Amino acid sequence: MTGLWRQAWEIARKDLRTEFRTGEVLLITVPFGAAALMLIPLAIGVDAPLLERVGPGMYWSVVLLFGVLVTVRQSAADGPAQMDVLTLLGLDPAARFAGRAGASALLLLVFEAVLAPLALALYGSDPRGWWWVLAVLPLVAVGLGLLGTLAAAIAAGVASTTLVPLIVVPLSVPMLLAASQVTEGIRVGATIFGWLLLLVVMDLLLAVAGVLSARPLQEAAR
Amino acid sequence: MPPATPAPFRGPGPYTRPVPAAVIDLRSVGVRLGDTPILRDLDLRVEAGEAVGLIGANGSGKTTLLRLLATLLAPTDGEGAVLGASLSSPERFAVRPRIGLIGHTPGLYPQLTLEENLAFVARIAGIPGEAVGEVLDRVGLGLARHRRAAACSHGMQRRGEFARVMLTRPDLLLLDEAHAGLDSQAADLVAHLVEGVRRRGGAAVVVSHEPGRIAPLVGRFVELQAGAVADPGTAAS
Amino acid sequence: MRRKVWLDAAAGALLVATLAAALAVPPERTMGDLARLMFVHVPAAWLAYLAFGVTLVGSAGYLATRRMKWDRLAAGSAEVGVCFNGLTIALGMIWGKSTWGVWWTWDARLVLTAIMFFVYLGYLGLRRGIADPVARARRSAWLGVLGAVQIPIVHFSVVWWRGLHQPPSVIRPGGVQMDDEFRIALAVAVLAFTAVYAALLRRHMENARAEEALAARLASEEVEVAGAAITAPRYGEVD
Repeated sequence: MTGLWRQAWEIARKDLRTEFRTGEVLLITVPFGAAALMLIPLAIGVDAPLLERVGPGMYWSVVLLFGVLVTVRQSAADGPAQMDVLTLLGLDPAARFAGRAGASALLLLVFEAVLAPLALALYGSDPRGWWWVLAVLPLVAVGLGLLGTLAAAIAAGVASTTLVPLIVVPLSVPMLLAASQVTEGIRVGATIFGWLLLLVVMDLLLAVAGVLSARPLQEAAR
Repeated sequence: MPPATPAPFRGPGPYTRPVPAAVIDLRSVGVRLGDTPILRDLDLRVEAGEAVGLIGANGSGKTTLLRLLATLLAPTDGEGAVLGASLSSPERFAVRPRIGLIGHTPGLYPQLTLEENLAFVARIAGIPGEAVGEVLDRVGLGLARHRRAAACSHGMQRRGEFARVMLTRPDLLLLDEAHAGLDSQAADLVAHLVEGVRRRGGAAVVVSHEPGRIAPLVGRFVELQAGAVADPGTAAS
Repeated sequence: MRRKVWLDAAAGALLVATLAAALAVPPERTMGDLARLMFVHVPAAWLAYLAFGVTLVGSAGYLATRRMKWDRLAAGSAEVGVCFNGLTIALGMIWGKSTWGVWWTWDARLVLTAIMFFVYLGYLGLRRGIADPVARARRSAWLGVLGAVQIPIVHFSVVWWRGLHQPPSVIRPGGVQMDDEFRIALAVAVLAFTAVYAALLRRHMENARAEEALAARLASEEVEVAGAAITAPRYGEVD
């Protein structure tokens, strides 16, 4: 078991080091998400009360729609030659899944963390009681990371940059619902425990699905 | 600065298990891609200590056969065993670390340096990190170890792959057009690798378009024609 | 190789002078001490225009002559310009929070300035993604020319579209509208920032030239690195 986690750690480390060198997430995807947040009010009209109400929902929508780009980033893609090398090293496919999902989750957390204050500023939403949301940010990051990596494994080698978002977005609807309900719940003082639980359950299911399907998907890709 | 005479590298690795007498044993093996047969009714037996040259025209199935031997493909017909593991069963996953494959495209990560690439391989495979510097020196990349793979020429990347194979010390070495685009010194490395595997009691299969170039390395040739073995011949002198 | 430091020294001295002037000026009628932010916010905005204008010049120069020094000029200026642009927006947000009570408002100038920021961020992203220097120069040159269209639009947006933001005080239909002390202090600030811009740009271009030289050297040395260091394999050695 320790061997599996060690291998996963090596994969995650490699992914993060590559991202550090190319800067694809920080320098391209994050500004893209920021531009999207800016664009929406221009389209729906700059009515301050309206923006304040839709702000959190817009934030989570942008996180999900643009966050999936983080999981399909070019810098993390393993080409066929690299896949062969990894396979012949005896790398456990589950370790590869865990490592990639972990690296993606961390980058997604950064993505969320940079966009959150920006959304607060642009939409003028009240940050009161937002500290609960800090629990949601990691849960969504992990869930999206797992989902994106799983979708990438399913779509391996088949126009992934367009196909993976198509697979991920509908499946991420429960996450989107839960995250925005938590934010809304905090705003109106409603109970949020059920939604948090939904996020946790989703993350666990995705993790199990990813680990169990890792080997069959890897062999099927040949 | 030329490297000092290196001590022979001996370390723990996947090659501590004994090699079966027949490293490769394929019987009437066929591989189909969808409905198209790529390999048909193929028999091949390679003994421990042998090096075999695989030749044939483009499209004859050489690369597919190599990938089959690497356990990256499973046969659709027939029975095959590599290093004693059946190619149609999960046994083949266990022997993968004992196989070394160098394909057409370099399998290095472009954003990592040559040293980082090999250190990554070493850590995944459980090989001590000190070996990385040693193998880089031996393939002549010692001075370039901190250069990113993307900034290296094709020849240098190919040498990086040779270093990887030296690191993992496979029992079955599979080379697909390893000589393509290499200078004569690098070609010597290929001979060195094949010789090394043979002396350890493993086997090597070398694919090439130029039989003359690999003739000194191999004991016999196997020719593929349209996915099946043509009359096997002995090595040209 | 001694690097010329006079430009850096001049920039530093002027910045000190700006600080002194900004603190010496009496508090403004309506905004009080907050108005001192103007001595950073306004020059930063100006320098963003200047920097992107220079990028236009460099891009056009490259497209006309295909000489790399124009590309280096365009790229260096864009990078410094993005920093100044970002500084402008950040300071503007701070100023806005204190004056209008909100971090952001959908004022034409603010939105257009932010869009300009993203466009040049994309310019930098484009350059980062292309490895081949010639292709990189050519493509980013086109973007550098196109992006410059925004500069007059951003500046005159406060006149064309009425909004919260201060109308232009210096370059506007009708001439300058400001107290003398402010005008002098602002002039010093603009001069200081221009010197900072020039110093940063020069360093950037020097670095870019050195990087290109290094890449060329590495490429030509490659054969030597790979060939000379290798030793003939010794078959007697078990590896």
